[in-house]
Amino acid sequence: MKQYDLLIVDDEQRFADMLARRLNLRGCNCDVCYNGREALNILKRKKLDLILLDLHLPDIYGTEVLTRIRKYDESTPVIIVTGHGTEKDRRECMQQGAYAFMHKPVGIDELMTILAEIGEMSA
Amino acid sequence: MIGRFRKILGSLRPEFYHRSSEHLDPYFTFTDYRKIWGIGIFLLAATALLPLMVVTIIYYQLIQKSVDSELILRTERVTSNARRAVTFFLEERLNALRFTVNEIDYDQLTNPDHLAELLRNLKLGFGGLTDLSVISHLGIQVAYAGPFKLEGKNYSKQAWFVECQKYNFYVSEIFRGYRDLPHIIIAVKSFRPDGTHFILRATLETERLIQTLSSYETGEHADIILVSRAGIIQTPSKYYGDIFEKMALPVPDYSPRTETVMAIDGQRRSIITGYAFISTQIADTPFILMVIKQKAKMMGVWLELRSKINWFVGFAILVIIFVVAITCTFMVNKLYLADKAKAEAMAVMEQNSQLASIGQLAAGVAHEINNPLALINETAGYVKDLFIIKEQYSKDDELLENIDYILEAVARCGTITRQLLGFARKFDVKIQRVNLNEVISDVLVFHNKEAEYRNVNVFVDISKDIPEIETDRGKLQQVLLNLVNNAFQAVDNGCNLDITALPEGVNKVSITISDNGCGMPEENLTKIFEPFFTTKERGKGTGLGLTITYGLVKKLHGNISVKSRENEGTAFIITLPIHLQEEMRKDENSFGR
Repeated sequence: MKQYDLLIVDDEQRFADMLARRLNLRGCNCDVCYNGREALNILKRKKLDLILLDLHLPDIYGTEVLTRIRKYDESTPVIIVTGHGTEKDRRECMQQGAYAFMHKPVGIDELMTILAEIGEMSA
Repeated sequence: MIGRFRKILGSLRPEFYHRSSEHLDPYFTFTDYRKIWGIGIFLLAATALLPLMVVTIIYYQLIQKSVDSELILRTERVTSNARRAVTFFLEERLNALRFTVNEIDYDQLTNPDHLAELLRNLKLGFGGLTDLSVISHLGIQVAYAGPFKLEGKNYSKQAWFVECQKYNFYVSEIFRGYRDLPHIIIAVKSFRPDGTHFILRATLETERLIQTLSSYETGEHADIILVSRAGIIQTPSKYYGDIFEKMALPVPDYSPRTETVMAIDGQRRSIITGYAFISTQIADTPFILMVIKQKAKMMGVWLELRSKINWFVGFAILVIIFVVAITCTFMVNKLYLADKAKAEAMAVMEQNSQLASIGQLAAGVAHEINNPLALINETAGYVKDLFIIKEQYSKDDELLENIDYILEAVARCGTITRQLLGFARKFDVKIQRVNLNEVISDVLVFHNKEAEYRNVNVFVDISKDIPEIETDRGKLQQVLLNLVNNAFQAVDNGCNLDITALPEGVNKVSITISDNGCGMPEENLTKIFEPFFTTKERGKGTGLGLTITYGLVKKLHGNISVKSRENEGTAFIITLPIHLQEEMRKDENSFGR
């Protein structure tokens, strides 16, 4: 199985860490950050296979982070993982080119399926 | 029968008279419809009736005045004419005696034959003369012509003789003489060439005088009489006493002219009295001429007209009152029905809003729970992963640590659920002791995240002097939640929201929720509590939030007011009683229920 490079962006630190550990156990290589600015910095220096992005970030709102990512990176898939997502948020994110819009809690198997899909597409 | 009558009467009674929907009371614009109804009828009736009454009274007074002055004028004319006639009657006879004593000397007068001749001639000329006598200066009757043998009689001690000596002339009151017929004595004094004097005396019958008087009588209800200055009736009277008896009216004050006065007689009849003190050119007389007219009888035609007008005015007043009462009842009932419909709509709206806010709350809570649940999910999933993927699960510190995370996350969920349940319970209408600090914190919990994301600074300043207040916790919470929601919508990111509470007097507290957001123009301030008034985009706001808030504050017996400046911010000030139960009791007492 291919080792995927992932970035988890979520202000809920423990959630982000835990998800990273679980994905790492499944052969992924996860980076974790807790706000939008840091996420954008990481993206500038590293090529990633997938970004898991929360909407309610303390500094920049998730949709705005997505918009900025898309300015210089049109291809990296972004999955929105949120606890408070509204229909409006969903529509906006999909328009901005999000790969999926998921509500917390997210099933790990579901996530792995999507990851596999992405792997197949990029292969 | 009586029961059926009552039933009909009950159905006629307007709806507002027996309002039964007490649960709608707080939503009514007006509370006391019976009072409005009463005031309405009174004001309308007063406005309609007052001019009618005033005009009628003025009309009566004008008529009364003109009738009075007409009556006075007529009475005065009759009195004046009668006075002239009576004066002339006496004057004529006194002049005849004076002419006699001046023309015929004493010796001739004392000749009985000559005196008898003279009496005959005077009777022919004037009529009504009974006898004629000559009295010497000593008071002895020296000659007499007439039906009685009175020669030699001594008059020296009699009052008339003394008076005639003093004043040269004398006119007596009317009195009954020897023949029991009323008559008058007139006497004239004359001097003899030797310097002594004598008196020529004549007795007059009163029949002619009475005839003269009665010829001036006008109508049934007028009385023309002569009375003495002591008030003794001298000629027959119809209404005020028998002849030679005291008159039933007071004797008028002396006046040299003819006078007319209004008075009330002994039988409480309104009368007009004309009077004149009779005085001839030669001598004063003891007579007062009185013309007495009964006003009511004189005014018969006018009184009949007045009673017709009274009937008409009375009928008009009844019609006006009836129309006013019907109109007022109809209008107040319409007002009541409109108000009731509004109150019902408001009640439904409030209920809907409560349901909607519970729904919103539930959604919010569910969202809040999602994050901890996600953490539980991941942590539990990781534990499971550890069990499946790694085999070193026993005596594993990491495992224990992660189980702690799960427990912590569950505890977080528990807190939120408890708060949700607590909030739901707070919709009960029961009064309880409420700590303002707690309520405000509970409300702010729902905005913590938003405040954090939007960088809105929330300052809470509750005065330490504020005691726990007795009120409906749920309603207070909804009021505060609505206002805080509004404030959050009005402010830009980075603005401030202040919540302060201060005691106001002994029995009240005031809570101020102010922001430094967009504010609103002055013309909107008066309308913001009106239903369906909104400044939000079409379809965004219902315009009911503040109306419901207002209704809730009123339910808590409080007041809400607003201050705002465009681009500077808005402040809502709520004043609440510390003891709601007491206020409700007072209210019940004042409504007398």
